[in-house]
Amino acid sequence: MKKRTIFGNIYIILAFIFLYMPIAVLILFSFNSSNSTSNFEGFSFKWYGELFSDAATLDALKNTLLLAILSSLIATVIGTMAAYGIHKMRNKHLKSSIMSVTKIPMINPEIVVGISMMLLFVFVGGILGSKSYLGFGTVLIAHVTFNLPYVILSVLPKFKQMDKSLPEAAQDLGCTPLQSFFKVELPAILPGVVSGLIMAFTLSLDDFVISYFTIGSGFETLPIRIYSMTKKRVTPDMYALSTLIFVSILVLLLLSNLTSDKSREKMSKKAKKITKIVVGTAFGVIGIITVIVLIVSAGTKTLTLNVYNWGEYISDGGEGTLDVNRAFEEYYEEKYFLETGERVNVSVNYTTYASNEDLYAKLKSGATGYDIIIPSDYMIQRLKSENLLQKLDLNKIPNYANIKEQFRNPFYDNGEEKYTAMYTYGVIGIIYNSKKLHPDDLAKIEAGEAGWELLWDEKYKGQILQFNNPRDAFGTAMYALGIDVNNATEEDWKKAQEYLKEQKPLVQSYVMDEIFNKMEGGEATLAAYYAGDCLCMIGNNEDLGFYYPRKNGEVVTNIFADAMCIPSSAENVDLAHEYINFMLSEEAAVANAEYIYYASPNKAVIENEGYQINMGKYEIEYKLDENGEEVPKLDEDDCYIPVLDENGEMIIDEEGDYFVIYDDVLEDNLEDMFNTYAYRDLEDESRATLNQKWEELKVDSQSFGGGIYIFCAVILVALIAFGVYCYIIKRKRRRLYWNTQK
Amino acid sequence: MQRAAAAPHVVWAVLFIIAPLLFVVYYAFTDKNGSFTFSNIGAIFQASYLEVFLRSLCFAFLATVICLIIAYPIAYFMAKAKPKTQKVLIMLVMLPQWLNFLIRTYSWMALLEDTGIINSVLMGIFGLEIPPLHMINTSGAVILGMVYNYLPYMIIPLHSVISKIDPKLLEAAADLGCSPLRVLTKVVFPLSMSDIVSGVTMVFVPSISTFYISQKLGGGNFDLIGDTIERQFQTAYDYNLGAAMSFVLMLIILVSMAIMNRYAGEDDGGVVV
Repeated sequence: MKKRTIFGNIYIILAFIFLYMPIAVLILFSFNSSNSTSNFEGFSFKWYGELFSDAATLDALKNTLLLAILSSLIATVIGTMAAYGIHKMRNKHLKSSIMSVTKIPMINPEIVVGISMMLLFVFVGGILGSKSYLGFGTVLIAHVTFNLPYVILSVLPKFKQMDKSLPEAAQDLGCTPLQSFFKVELPAILPGVVSGLIMAFTLSLDDFVISYFTIGSGFETLPIRIYSMTKKRVTPDMYALSTLIFVSILVLLLLSNLTSDKSREKMSKKAKKITKIVVGTAFGVIGIITVIVLIVSAGTKTLTLNVYNWGEYISDGGEGTLDVNRAFEEYYEEKYFLETGERVNVSVNYTTYASNEDLYAKLKSGATGYDIIIPSDYMIQRLKSENLLQKLDLNKIPNYANIKEQFRNPFYDNGEEKYTAMYTYGVIGIIYNSKKLHPDDLAKIEAGEAGWELLWDEKYKGQILQFNNPRDAFGTAMYALGIDVNNATEEDWKKAQEYLKEQKPLVQSYVMDEIFNKMEGGEATLAAYYAGDCLCMIGNNEDLGFYYPRKNGEVVTNIFADAMCIPSSAENVDLAHEYINFMLSEEAAVANAEYIYYASPNKAVIENEGYQINMGKYEIEYKLDENGEEVPKLDEDDCYIPVLDENGEMIIDEEGDYFVIYDDVLEDNLEDMFNTYAYRDLEDESRATLNQKWEELKVDSQSFGGGIYIFCAVILVALIAFGVYCYIIKRKRRRLYWNTQK
Repeated sequence: MQRAAAAPHVVWAVLFIIAPLLFVVYYAFTDKNGSFTFSNIGAIFQASYLEVFLRSLCFAFLATVICLIIAYPIAYFMAKAKPKTQKVLIMLVMLPQWLNFLIRTYSWMALLEDTGIINSVLMGIFGLEIPPLHMINTSGAVILGMVYNYLPYMIIPLHSVISKIDPKLLEAAADLGCSPLRVLTKVVFPLSMSDIVSGVTMVFVPSISTFYISQKLGGGNFDLIGDTIERQFQTAYDYNLGAAMSFVLMLIILVSMAIMNRYAGEDDGGVVV
């Protein structure tokens, strides 16, 4: 007997270790002194401090609480009424059919509930012709919907348990049905109502999937924010927040557990009443605060600007940098005050996407209401051709003059009227971990002979990362094969797909901004990615290097430009212009360029001395000429990208700094590069082909053995055999039983 | 009159439960221009999508079986503890669920990576020479993610039914000469069958439709139904195909639940014997 309890205890302890292992990791790394979530480098509280200055996260927390409170209250009211009505129903068929419909959101997979509501909203929104129909309202409806069944199912049993004669007695004594409900029935079912409310509140607090499909612009809940963070990197301040939540819930649960057992029995009626009052007031206060917050936020004049940008693509105030969005808020609030003498509250609502295709799908789904988006060249072409962008009023953007002449007429926006203001441009290169790369390949890179083929090298099986978006992933294969990325035939797409399928067994994972963690942490050896981000990673890990893939000695890779645009459905057009103007100003543009490491088309940046020093250009700017005199090497029309040595490798000094200068590879060819290697918007047919081929590639799995199917089949057969065996035994016994009866 | 109190809920349910499902069906059977077609459903029966469905079924099935195997003893041993301990244990089982599942899954990544925490610990114990245990981006990691996230949903119903079994029944079985193992298989197991089914449903349904776990722990190499549906809506912008997939997913779940309920129903009879 004793042995068994010991075994049981050990088993339970092991189970709890399993359950709590990731949570321990999370708590541990919330005290990490570096921003890594996989290497512990020292103890510090700094992320707890960061948390309270991370306005976006705190905003998301506020939104999440607001949504949870409102949706659980609404669901509780509707649900309690429904339970009352259902309880009083006499028609059994009606009752059971209502109950089965009610349970649908519980039984259906979350993703189906989410997309079904999204389809409804998109369809109805389309009919109404509304510009933006996904938003706070739609998420609220969705949350109430999945909360309702839980409320009803926790209230209904209380009605059933209640003595039926009680309300009858009350009514005999002269109560109206309404009075009897509030005087007699409500107190009896209150525990059910409260537990339903709490359950709805927690479900809504934690929901990700359903919000993900029904949320619009400008409203971000905490789970959604975490999701977009896990697409690039989760900063430890999110871990800090989770730790705080975890600890406070632990304390709450422990307290309620400790008090509930003994003291509740001993509690006098008076004490019980007091507890009830306390709980009641607590909820009341929460409700009142919510209402006040709503009224206050409606009362003061607030201008909200919804900015939708790539992940890790703006200076966000981390580690002593300028928080560009906050700076804009302050700048505009002051400007508005100086101009009008009135106070205004500006709030930049900043959310991120991982790829152009995500942005497009989001815009098309009706989650509009974005005021600023920053898509890439080919996507701009497409958005423009579908009339999803609006013209910029250059009079409102005096800083447009900061953009260098050569970047004012890019191929995607070369008409008289301007739709875009270029934010950055860059190329796709290959980032590698020099510690893990074979010396031969390293030598090849140093000799400037390495091309795309390293990404297809068997040696690096399981060490290669590939883009997780169709255009860039197919781009790598097409550049490698020498296929024109913009005029591919069906045959060409097929070839590229074959090549990618060949690569699939070697690929560790398909990533977008997750690459930061994976490369910096040494998880992967090789990946193609955007140059600016590569530099950023190199800044964090000195083992990493970067090269431009070449074919026959010539750099063959994608060059891209990202530009700020205003969608035609924008609500704050004037403020959006102000924002673009601010982003082009020296202050903001320099901060961004230094933070994201992409090449800037902005004169104010390139001429900024601090930027030149920071980017290492300073040393190289002045060169000695034949006469031994210092002459500036660069003239006004230069562009700046990483310095390459004669072998095409980036120059990095001992401190891990790298130099950004005028690059001769790209200098002469910038125009040509854009013409040859930039992606253009594809014809509908090609795009469909690309999407289909990408789908086929993604769902195809060669790396996946059949073993697991066989395993599954064996278990299934065993279960069925067991079932049949039980059935036979049962029949045998039953026969035996009947025989003995006879 | 009093029945009218249910009216708001009924209206709500028609608008936001039934209507959305009708839209799923509508989109599943129409093309981009809104005309009727079977091509979306047909597309699913291509070899590649069939494999996705098969893989999801397989992974979800394995995750459910593993959950059951792990959870049953936990629930059993928990039910044997003192009532007060039981309360604390239940609380501890549910506590991780209060943290966002995205962040819990994300921190599994830090554990499982080749340069991750488990491998660092192993290296610390066995020296630097051993090659790292390759765990992340495998099918095992995806199944582990499912098991981890949905295990509590299996433990709780099992525990509640096992703890309600009358101890007299167990004593009677023991008195009649049953070994402890036979008590377990002949009494406890059959009595908890109905809640095994509810636990299985609560693990199987989210496992088969998950779309985040496989992306993070499987590195995008093991596309599951959820991932494919998500991609249609969030990236590829093909609502019709996505709706068709959701429709088929709903059918799969309905069918498997029907099978499970039937299976459980038959075994309920076994208790009598």
